[in-house]
Amino acid sequence: MTTLSKLPLKKGSVLVGKWKGQQYRIESLLGEGANGKVFLVSKDWNWYALKIGADAIDLQSEINALKALAERNLSQNDNYLKDVDDCIMPDGKEYSFYTMRYVKGQDIPTYLEQNGQEWFPLLALNILRRLGQLHQAGWIFGDLKVENIIIAEYGHVELIDYGGATKIGKSVKQFTEIYDRGYWNSGTRCADSAYDLFSFATLCVQLFAPRKLAQATSDLIPQNRSIEELMSIVKSIPQLAHYEGWLLKAFHGQFRHGEEAAEAWRMLAHRRKAIVKSNKTPRWLKVLITVSLLSLCTVASIALLELGGLLK
Amino acid sequence: MKQILLITDGCSNVGMSPVVAAAHAKSEGISVNVIGVVDQGELGEYGSAEIHEIARAGGGLSRLVQTKELAQTVQMMTRKTVVQTIQIAVQKELQHVLGNHSIEALSPEKRSEVVRVMDELTETSELQVALLIDASASMRPKLASVEEAIYDLMLSLQAREGKSEIAVFHFPGAKHQEDCVNDLNWTTHLKGMQSIFPKLHMSGTTPTGPAIMSVVEFFTKQKAKSAHDLTEMDGIIGDNAI
Repeated sequence: MTTLSKLPLKKGSVLVGKWKGQQYRIESLLGEGANGKVFLVSKDWNWYALKIGADAIDLQSEINALKALAERNLSQNDNYLKDVDDCIMPDGKEYSFYTMRYVKGQDIPTYLEQNGQEWFPLLALNILRRLGQLHQAGWIFGDLKVENIIIAEYGHVELIDYGGATKIGKSVKQFTEIYDRGYWNSGTRCADSAYDLFSFATLCVQLFAPRKLAQATSDLIPQNRSIEELMSIVKSIPQLAHYEGWLLKAFHGQFRHGEEAAEAWRMLAHRRKAIVKSNKTPRWLKVLITVSLLSLCTVASIALLELGGLLK
Repeated sequence: MKQILLITDGCSNVGMSPVVAAAHAKSEGISVNVIGVVDQGELGEYGSAEIHEIARAGGGLSRLVQTKELAQTVQMMTRKTVVQTIQIAVQKELQHVLGNHSIEALSPEKRSEVVRVMDELTETSELQVALLIDASASMRPKLASVEEAIYDLMLSLQAREGKSEIAVFHFPGAKHQEDCVNDLNWTTHLKGMQSIFPKLHMSGTTPTGPAIMSVVEFFTKQKAKSAHDLTEMDGIIGDNAI
């Protein structure tokens, strides 16, 4: 089996497609998935993400899933998948690659850290809507986890790494243990929309209590992993209090598909108390309040003085 | 499709070479995968070399992992080997039809179609996995994790469309002349099963080679039936792939 560890791709090197001849300039390494490495590349002043695979067949299988989704018009505004080709390295080895739309963004924890936790309900809703679109097309995402979600400006959600994308009814191609309902003794590994929703619910737990979740996976003996254990962590997370009922339904696979789940989430999120309170009042607000209080005092004292003057 | 998955933590020390035994398995159309469980690195250089050699001779994969990674490794390795077996069959078929061609040499459009068919076969082909567990004394603390991995594998296999069966063996047996013991005959589910290894007598020897041979024999007993299945699968590939 070929490995990608010694791939001679540095910033500035140019990669040429064997079949279509497109040229891409490597800018930086974006990340590494189960099936390959993802680079930021440029071509004609545009940025793309380029995934290069160690195994042509694994990568092709992923490309096929992306193509099937593209045919159903699922790629939001413009096409996610741009180009598919092979390239020959200086050492004579051939690798397959594909390019996709590049979305500049952050992972969810970083986004929430920088922009505030009140964004959480919206990010969650956007993820659920995206899953809903996939389910409607007859697919599930499969390997939903923190690492496979990018958040761009204003909570725009992009799912990346479709290596786990599976047609509904087939066996889930790729998954990560802690997000897998089979691992929690709570269902099969047959692809259905409830599979993604279970992973999504676990993702919510992972976002707010990563340590407790990791602790549970190492402490519990396999037979005792259960929805009850997951729910007991949920109950300790104040940010999820409002969504407890929803999460319980998701864990038990009681939503018919992603769209129904998204709609139920939206209803909850739009109720006022749903808004996750940030831990502290922002400083600018404090300053404003102080200023307004001070001016109020000044106005009041002047008024009092004047009143006193008038009374005299 | 037939696989043996050997889970061990040490070197063989009795009887025929496990590498030769694995080569026998391969010639019977059975892939041999090997997982070495190394928690404190007790396997040593010789042991890990043996593990990789067995898998090479058996046309399978090998990996050294920690006990906690066992379940995921078993599941992934089994799946990868199914893919690989189909890949080899398709490759052969392509060579037959197109001359000196590999899947990688096809244009992206053609490759896309071939891989689609391969994915379909990966999902629908019949599969038998015989798990062969080293139950020598040093493995005792790891057997709970091995059992967990077996349950987990069954769960993944049950999600496939094709019929999937597992059987479980451990070695060495209690009596001296016994190379390996069949704990569980071919089954498609583990419902109601209390424990796969109820009470084991752990002895000091590790007859890996002879144990592999016994499992190969177990497979070949039902050869007449599966020879028929194999020609059927060749037919599917021949019709759809090209």
